[in-house]
Amino acid sequence: MSILKYEDINNFELDILKELGSIGTGNAATALSGVLSKKVKMSLPEVKIMDFNKAIYEFGGPETVVAGVLVNFSGEIKGMMLYIQELNSTNTVLECLLGKNIDNFMDLDDIEISALIEVGNIIISSYMSAISSLTGIKINLSVPEVSVNMLGGIMNVPIAEYGYKTDKLMTIGGKFMYEEQEICSNLILMPEVESLNYLIKKLGVSCE
Amino acid sequence: MNKAYTVGIADMKICRAPGVLVTYALGSCVGICIYDPVIRLAGLIHIMLPNMNKNMQDKNILKYADVGIPEMIRKMIAFGAVQQRLVAKIAGGAKMFELSGGNSSIDNIGARNVESVKDVLRRERIRILKEDVGSNYARTVYFYSETGEVIVKTFGKGEIKL
Repeated sequence: MSILKYEDINNFELDILKELGSIGTGNAATALSGVLSKKVKMSLPEVKIMDFNKAIYEFGGPETVVAGVLVNFSGEIKGMMLYIQELNSTNTVLECLLGKNIDNFMDLDDIEISALIEVGNIIISSYMSAISSLTGIKINLSVPEVSVNMLGGIMNVPIAEYGYKTDKLMTIGGKFMYEEQEICSNLILMPEVESLNYLIKKLGVSCE
Repeated sequence: MNKAYTVGIADMKICRAPGVLVTYALGSCVGICIYDPVIRLAGLIHIMLPNMNKNMQDKNILKYADVGIPEMIRKMIAFGAVQQRLVAKIAGGAKMFELSGGNSSIDNIGARNVESVKDVLRRERIRILKEDVGSNYARTVYFYSETGEVIVKTFGKGEIKL
């Protein structure tokens, strides 16, 4: 049975996606730990499929200012992935990377922007490589783009892109912890529905 | 501010004075404020996409500029507004990410939304008094039905009065 809409995903298939999410998060934690040269712990990720209006509140409200990193993927599966990080988490990471705190996110210099993109890129890429190596699917990633602004505005991007097809978003929420500090990260993974079917089929678990 | 009614994404609300309508964090979406100054009736719609795909059965017509705006005007007229008196103010249609590559359809979704909104308003013969569209920042829109005033709040760019 193929899935026509996000809301058609059954519990069994959701479990598979959760598993992918947790493998991806594991990879991302390893990668993050390499970048920060610190021990990183992770919480079990939560994969949810929800309405966009609800998702925005789940992630902290529309007016919360966040850093978002966006990557489009193509190849055998197509879609978009958005990494959202709260600013104090961003600061925690950047402090470790650049050795300084950022007070004013309004004008970031090139190095700060580049560091922000890199963190998002590492996390997104490790998810994608987890999916890719698990399924043997070839995935190409676009150059990541960053935007620091209101959450609602940033989440508009995947919502509008897939607005003709669905009112739902697939979100992967997780927490990384290092040295008593928590880094909250939220990911929005939006594979096209055909790609989602292909992915589930490739994993050999499609139920008839 | 305790009388503010929140308009979600792909949502619409109409209120009489002294009500306040608010829609948070417009990115590439566009918020269209339509006002009848005589009876002080305010309508705010938060659209997400320019045109409805005719082949698709989508129950939520408020997502689309081309069908959502006429629907709001129809409802406002039902509440006593007169089409000739209506005026509009619009905000939103930003481009949040500078995507390289540039062949993606989201690349200019904000601009396409604004274009479609202007088309619809022209067709409905509603004048756009003021606008704050494009650029690369998110906007929160407060629409005061008492005066027809629109306040746009942004991150970093301060408040803009329309």
